[in-house]
Amino acid sequence: MPEPRFRSRTYRRITKKLPGGDHVIHYAKRKPGVAKCAKCGASLKGIPRERPYKMQILGKSKKRNERPYGGNLCSKCSRQLIKKEARQ
Amino acid sequence: MYETGRLCVKIAGRDARQKCVIIEVLDDNFVMIDGQTRRRKCNIKHLEPLDKVLKLKKGASHSDVVSALKSEGIEVTERKTKTKKERIVKKRKAAGEIAEKTTEEPAKKEEPKAVKPAKETKKKAELKEKKKK
Ligand SMILES: [Zn+2]
Repeated sequence: MPEPRFRSRTYRRITKKLPGGDHVIHYAKRKPGVAKCAKCGASLKGIPRERPYKMQILGKSKKRNERPYGGNLCSKCSRQLIKKEARQ
Repeated sequence: MYETGRLCVKIAGRDARQKCVIIEVLDDNFVMIDGQTRRRKCNIKHLEPLDKVLKLKKGASHSDVVSALKSEGIEVTERKTKTKKERIVKKRKAAGEIAEKTTEEPAKKEEPKAVKPAKETKKKAELKEKKKK
């Protein structure tokens, strides 16, 4: 029987295959949801779904697009906004 | 609309929101651009044309583009070119040995030389014995 805290589904289960051929279950905290565009709500590409401790380790360019509004707006919305700025 | 000298704003990629000038029209879809952006080939879908056309020749140099943009009041900050640093080549032998070599070069070099011929002589002697047998 696993530990009481591992009996609920707050932890996700990862099955690992051992070198001997056995399978064991590892327990890990669940990952956060996919990053969303602040304007239209579309899922953002190129942004990893990792827990905060892992996001701290990653470099800036690995956490977001290198474009203005990268990591905040999707490409379509940022393009619209930049066009709007340019036309003024 | 997309002719040489047309002032544009780039709307995609890491150069987005930066102003540039078309230097050359390559085909229906692609142009060469230069200015605040990098000097590069670009799809016209990634450009937003502005109402100004600068007087530039086809394939104008970067300095010409910069001076033309300056007359329009657009400053171009020059990107620093990376100076190549000399890489320290890692050798298979440990770093301690290299440090020792610099201090005691003659003493260390002589020792292996003295050992090597001895080994060869041993092998040669063995071979000679075998041949005799
Ligand atoms: Zn969006």
